[in-house]
Amino acid sequence: MPNETLTELESLAIIQQMIAMAKKEQQDDGKSRIIWGWLLFSVSILTVINLHLQLVSTFFFWNIFSVLTIVLFVLRYFKSPPKAKTYTYDLYNKLNIGFLILICFVIVAMNVEAVSVLAGFAILMSTYGFWALIYGAVINFKPSIVGAFATWIFAFAALFVKSFEWVMVLHAAAVMAGYIVPGHLANIEFRKTAIQ
Amino acid sequence: MFKDLDPILHSQLRLATISLLISVKEAEFTFIKEKTHATAGNLSVQVNKLKEAGYIEVIKQFKDNYPQTICKITTKGIKAFEAYVKDLQSYLIIKK
Repeated sequence: MPNETLTELESLAIIQQMIAMAKKEQQDDGKSRIIWGWLLFSVSILTVINLHLQLVSTFFFWNIFSVLTIVLFVLRYFKSPPKAKTYTYDLYNKLNIGFLILICFVIVAMNVEAVSVLAGFAILMSTYGFWALIYGAVINFKPSIVGAFATWIFAFAALFVKSFEWVMVLHAAAVMAGYIVPGHLANIEFRKTAIQ
Repeated sequence: MFKDLDPILHSQLRLATISLLISVKEAEFTFIKEKTHATAGNLSVQVNKLKEAGYIEVIKQFKDNYPQTICKITTKGIKAFEAYVKDLQSYLIIKK
């Protein structure tokens, strides 16, 4: 870019072009939500199947998932940050830290029997809803906000269900509404913008 | 014609730099270079001018043993940019 004086229209064009470029840089491709969502969904469904077939212990897939989550978070931690940091990026990071701590808290509570497993999963679902709402509001993405409310409906329903199998089914549905569908919609939008 | 427009901002590269920085919290020098398609030397000179005017803050640090330059818009820079856009708008209205 040369460094010459400008006409007012050229100035305006530069401002618009640069702001649009920075905005594009901040756009979410939905991939994190897709990976996280499908992982949670698979574990819920595998647990339901396992409850019928009794192949391994009840929480076998959840234990594998916990290890995988730790690995994913460590990998994410060591991933180099973007060249341009936005306020959204900062908020997103803080939201994820809070979310992870809250999830760990509920998991520990379930393990020390401070809360029952059934109630624990209902709380986890409502936590997903909270994350989806804040995230949707931050990036101004309506499917995520709608997904948050749908997730809470499943979370409330889980409070009244007395079978672990059904809690797992509701958990899978909550994850579908809160992460998978909004994640894929974000990805479609991202690819559309990338083509333009 | 442009006597009222801020001369610091009224240049292609400096305006592009400030427009990028207004949209983010902070950006690496390499990011600005990439987006503006400027040469490192030219960009460095313009970044220094913005810094001297107090419009941006330049942080030089090391990351993984490599030097890293981070640019951040200041409150003065935000105000100057807002005033520039306002002046620009008034010019465009007059021209209409």
